[in-house]
Amino acid sequence: MSGVRERVATGLEAGLGAGLAVVPFLALAVAVLGADYAFGQATLVLTYAIAGLGLVIIVGQAGQITLGHGALFALGAYVEALLAVRGVPPVLSIPAAVVVAALGGMLASLPARRLGGLYFGMSTLAFALIVEEGLVRWESLTRGGAGLAVPALAWGDFSARTPGAQLAVSAIALVLALLACRRWVSGRAGRAWRAVREDEVAAAEACGIDPAAAKLSAFVIGGGLAGLAGALYAHWIGFISPDQFGLMFSFELLMLVFIGGARRLSGALWGALVIVSLPQVIALLRDALPGEWTRSAGVEAMLFGAVIVAVVLLRPQGLARR
Amino acid sequence: MLALIQVLTSGIAIGCVYGLVALSFVLIYKATETVSFMQGDLLMVGAFAAVALQVGAGWPLWLAASAAVAGMAGLGALLERTVLRRAIGQPHLVAVLLTFGLGLMLRGTVTAVPAASHDMYRLPFADAVLWLGPLVLSLSHLLVIGATVVLAALLTMFFRHTRAGLALRACSEDARVAALMGVPVAAMHTLAWALGAALAAVAGLLLAPITFVHLDMGLIALKAFPAAVLGGLFSLPGALVGGVFLGVAEALAGLMLPEGVKDVVPYALLMLALLLFPDGLANGWRRRR
Repeated sequence: MSGVRERVATGLEAGLGAGLAVVPFLALAVAVLGADYAFGQATLVLTYAIAGLGLVIIVGQAGQITLGHGALFALGAYVEALLAVRGVPPVLSIPAAVVVAALGGMLASLPARRLGGLYFGMSTLAFALIVEEGLVRWESLTRGGAGLAVPALAWGDFSARTPGAQLAVSAIALVLALLACRRWVSGRAGRAWRAVREDEVAAAEACGIDPAAAKLSAFVIGGGLAGLAGALYAHWIGFISPDQFGLMFSFELLMLVFIGGARRLSGALWGALVIVSLPQVIALLRDALPGEWTRSAGVEAMLFGAVIVAVVLLRPQGLARR
Repeated sequence: MLALIQVLTSGIAIGCVYGLVALSFVLIYKATETVSFMQGDLLMVGAFAAVALQVGAGWPLWLAASAAVAGMAGLGALLERTVLRRAIGQPHLVAVLLTFGLGLMLRGTVTAVPAASHDMYRLPFADAVLWLGPLVLSLSHLLVIGATVVLAALLTMFFRHTRAGLALRACSEDARVAALMGVPVAAMHTLAWALGAALAAVAGLLLAPITFVHLDMGLIALKAFPAAVLGGLFSLPGALVGGVFLGVAEALAGLMLPEGVKDVVPYALLMLALLLFPDGLANGWRRRR
């Protein structure tokens, strides 16, 4: 009895602790940027963090490379958008988005039954490119490259139109996701993932863990979280098109967990904070640089690449301490 | 029938480019265990360097092309010495992010040059065609295939008969034993990156007459990954054959399947191959026999 209570308490504590950590940043952002803008950015941070949790489980816990997380996010976003346009309430549509993205994760991880490492990373890349191409080509459903407008998240009298309401919804979703992940990570599934990460053969042969099943569960959970984040993201942005979720986005998410520290759940939140604020810092930096040539979009890409290289070289373990 | 031959020729030509990029990827992966996500960007920079020297500086084409390839080899070696060396022995994720970041920097730098981002360039010889009776073949496709064959022969000679080539192979097989035999392993890593970057640049030059030189031409490298995996990820000839196979499969899909399916074919084939032959097609084949 006390054990159960203790576990729930630590879970809540982690969620609250991670949430509280963002408060000073939020206060600073409100003071500098104005409430609506700051709330909008904070909503993005929390939404990205939900997807980041999925990657923490796949990359940090189960030790698999995935280059297709953006595609799972896209699946969630599209399912939610298509259902919301047809008037399906979020209580039904968001679980549907989560389930479809989790199924996508399952499909992407099928080759993992027999493969590990880079081969498997390549198969997730192929999966992501197939999904992206499918979203572009299936025009009767997704309207292809033209994109879809997404209505505001609304259920009965409640509708999340203001940045404050959106922030609250994302925060609740993130805390619930954090609690669930904490349970999985500290439980049997988490031990299986870490065993697979450390040594697949020893895990399977010595401890009776099925590596294929462990990888599958990591991808189903990771995919579901990406789908949840994608569903919320679609509402907050209000417009989705396939090119938002390309390979670049998958790499941004990988960067997110790498910067935050892939092994800890709180790493997702720190990484999301960095990844969302980085483009704005880069824009400021670019304006500070002298000369006419800095107006080019190429300079932003160059600076973003430079930040990636610098972070990887200076802190190969990520910014958060282990 | 004639149409089929023409489609096959263009498929083989584009497949040769896939194969060369896959070859550069496998070469680097085998020698340094670094997963390179920047081969497409190296390819694009190499092609732009040749265009800049030819159109901008007015050099003759052969000189501009060789200077561009040599310059890219130098860039590859420089990047290995300064940055990429740090990724050796780290998890794959580190190399993936590092090369992706470097690729982004290369692409951003080229994008920031106004002349590069506004126009598409072609190298001369692109429009010529060859008439063989009723058969019309694009000269650029034949040129690409011929150049790939010559290059493959040169590489084979290099890996079989030169000291550096043998040392590089030894280093790829087992770096520790190679070091004990007196092979300078660190220098071999630099050589592998120089060769890999130069091969990507050659692929860019060969792609130029087929698709123009533009900022997104590096995306072709995404099709080199399936080619490399189909070839078994550790086999240089396998990578080349995998590339040609994908090029032909894609061309045939474009001929027979509905529009748009063509672009997915390499990835669908990759997923299928990974599910059915997890050790690569070459190994699966060998085991079956």
